[in-house]
Amino acid sequence: MNKRVQYELIWLIAVIAILALSALANYNYTVSSSKEIAQPYNGDPAGVVINVTGYQWGWQFQYPNGTITTDKLVLMANVTYTLIVTSKDVIHDLYIPQFGVQVYAVYDHTNEVSFTPLVPGTYIMECVEYCGEYHYEMRGEVVVL
Amino acid sequence: MIFSFELAIFGSTISVLIIMFLLLYFYAQDYRKYLLEVNHEEILDRGQENAVLSNMKRELSFAAFFMDDSKSIGIRYIITSLLFFFIAGLAGIGMRISLWNPNPTFLTPIQYNVLLTEHGTLMLYGWATGSILGLGYYLLPSMLKIKKDKLGHLNSAMFWFYFIGGVLLIFSRSTASWYFYYPLTDQLTEAGGGTYSFAALAGVLLILTAANVASIVFLKMIFLDRDKSIRLSKLPLFAWSIVSTALLILSSAPVSMVADVMLIYDLINPIFFTGSNGTALGYAILFWFWGHPIVYVAVIPAFGLIYELLPKYANTKVYSYKSGVVGLLLLMILSGTVWGHHLFNSGLGTIWDLIFSTTSFLVAIPSAITVFNWIATLWTGKIRLTVPMLFILNAIVDFVIGGVTGVMQADVGINELIHGTYWVTAHFHFILLGMTTGMAFAAIYALFPTLSGGRRYNVAMAKAHFYLTALGTYVMTVPWALGGFQGMPRRVAGYFGIFQSYQDAAAIGGIILGIGQLVFLINLVYSSTKPISVSNENILESEVVYGE
Ligand code: HEM
Ligand code: HEM
Ligand SMILES: [Cu+2]
Ligand SMILES: [Cu+2]
Repeated sequence: MNKRVQYELIWLIAVIAILALSALANYNYTVSSSKEIAQPYNGDPAGVVINVTGYQWGWQFQYPNGTITTDKLVLMANVTYTLIVTSKDVIHDLYIPQFGVQVYAVYDHTNEVSFTPLVPGTYIMECVEYCGEYHYEMRGEVVVL
Repeated sequence: MIFSFELAIFGSTISVLIIMFLLLYFYAQDYRKYLLEVNHEEILDRGQENAVLSNMKRELSFAAFFMDDSKSIGIRYIITSLLFFFIAGLAGIGMRISLWNPNPTFLTPIQYNVLLTEHGTLMLYGWATGSILGLGYYLLPSMLKIKKDKLGHLNSAMFWFYFIGGVLLIFSRSTASWYFYYPLTDQLTEAGGGTYSFAALAGVLLILTAANVASIVFLKMIFLDRDKSIRLSKLPLFAWSIVSTALLILSSAPVSMVADVMLIYDLINPIFFTGSNGTALGYAILFWFWGHPIVYVAVIPAFGLIYELLPKYANTKVYSYKSGVVGLLLLMILSGTVWGHHLFNSGLGTIWDLIFSTTSFLVAIPSAITVFNWIATLWTGKIRLTVPMLFILNAIVDFVIGGVTGVMQADVGINELIHGTYWVTAHFHFILLGMTTGMAFAAIYALFPTLSGGRRYNVAMAKAHFYLTALGTYVMTVPWALGGFQGMPRRVAGYFGIFQSYQDAAAIGGIILGIGQLVFLINLVYSSTKPISVSNENILESEVVYGE
């Protein structure tokens, strides 16, 4: 094997090693936190269930006791929630940046995602799937008590 | 008929246009004859005439619109794609400035969304795709010394498909964004996907048809029509990059075209993406099967150009020809397998998420092979900092940044944080501005003596163009990336006040970019009025020396 090929191989192996480590970390996270990743609703929700409906242009949250709020999600700290998310019309995407929670709202299809807010406070919430004229106003706040 | 002022204006405009058209037509015929007379070979039929014409050193001329040899087709695409670039760029700068305040300033949400759609579609289909087809048609015939050029009518018709497609994209005022997701696209209202959104879909279909046919023509040129003295193992790396691009287009664009037709059909009779056996996500999946490959279509030819130009400005040979070819072909194969990384949070399920994020990590391997090859080439050479070289070096840096941000967001956990934010916009503008657009500029500057028929560009202005473009790219994309990581959403006409500093910084970047392109335009006009002063040698045709 000549020197040139050797150099190339050394660099390549370094890259592959870094990628393999990233892939491993990714695998670990995905497997261990699978409930925190958006996925099709499988009928076995963890914790308190909140039904979420996206529509042009707003978010509706329905809590277990029947209360409904619009563009505002109210949660308790240290309680595990499962959002069951669907859409009335086009595709939307509910996103709470500070929680790393993101889930698509699709017509005729329900997705779920679970999370546990820890720190009380007021956070932001946005739609991040482009959905027409007032897409940018399809946002609100998340209050953790 | 009663005389009316409007009718007179209308009539005279039309007649002036017709006269201009005829003049240009006869000028083109004359020009063609002149070019053929300069060449003294014996010519038998039109196919051979065209082969001779497309092997010549040719300058940019509007006469090309009436000639159908491959090189003229290339000139048509180059001129038109530049036009689309400037229109789309104006749209981009308009959006940037309108985002100065958290509430929409001078653009209403609908106007913003129209510009968003025009910018995305025109940049990807009009500029990235168009300039690549242009460079392919322009460079391949003489690089490969082709002996046959018989598909003139087809190439010409396909160019007009592309041209009309671009015009439809501009005038359809679609607000469906470049995804054309179902059901938004099929909401034919101003507030939904735009009243004439289907016209934009037709535009995309026309352009993709042109791209598919051009791909077949390129493969034919490379494998069947090239001069037999050029062995396959000595094929220029630019030609290999076009092989890779063409196969990528042919294997994935038709899927998206089928999906577009289904969207149009669903307008009349909704069966495909809704109802008992369809799902809205079905369209998204078909779209991304092409939506990811198109981003590699936009960079692989730029890689090819770097391989051709780098050794010339570094006075050395490409470090390794073999790993160059392997890298280009592997990119094509792997980038067909990663499309799901655009849909991580849509409910594909964790298994699919894992598969797509792993394949996305794999794409980094051929990208790294390619970048190392360039770095090794630079290492062994003596660098001359000409204008094209500045663009090349910047393209490599921007691609590395774009590639690293790409691998980061392919991580399922990180993707939950940055999907749908300006982080993603930053990721791809690094590459599409720095690499795709930067290498198109590098090629234009490198070919300037040929394209202008023996003139020199003004170096000071060209350098100003480079520095403003590079600086503008960073000033615009770095705040996007930082803001995006904190949740600054993309594709919005207004935003939460907390993001204003990032948006404003990016707006300044956008303005710097705009000024840079203005300098480029002035330079083109200014330099092409200068007297002829250099030989019109095409530096992309001369023999390239490759390492093993
Ligand atoms: C190292 C290789 C790359 C990887 C791993 C990668 C990964 C990704 C991922 C995961 C996304 C999805 C982000 C999201 O929406 O959540 C993305 C988006 C994107 N990438 Fe890359 N990328 C790579 C290279 C490139 C290149 C070379 C280009 C092109 C020029 C490119 C252009 C784009 C574009 C245009 C989008 C966004 C499309 C849109 O949503 O409008 N990427 N990339
Ligand atoms: C001339 C400098 C440019 C400026 C000022 C600019 C500006 C912008 C802005 C502000 C957006 C974000 C719109 C939003 O998310 O709300 C955007 C999106 C985009 N840009 Fe650019 N851009 C430029 C160059 C390019 C180039 C050269 C390309 C491709 C070759 C490109 C392709 C795109 C695409 C595909 C999108 C996504 C559109 C979408 O989300 O539907 N841009 N650009
Ligand atoms: Cu929405
Ligand atoms: Cu992708």
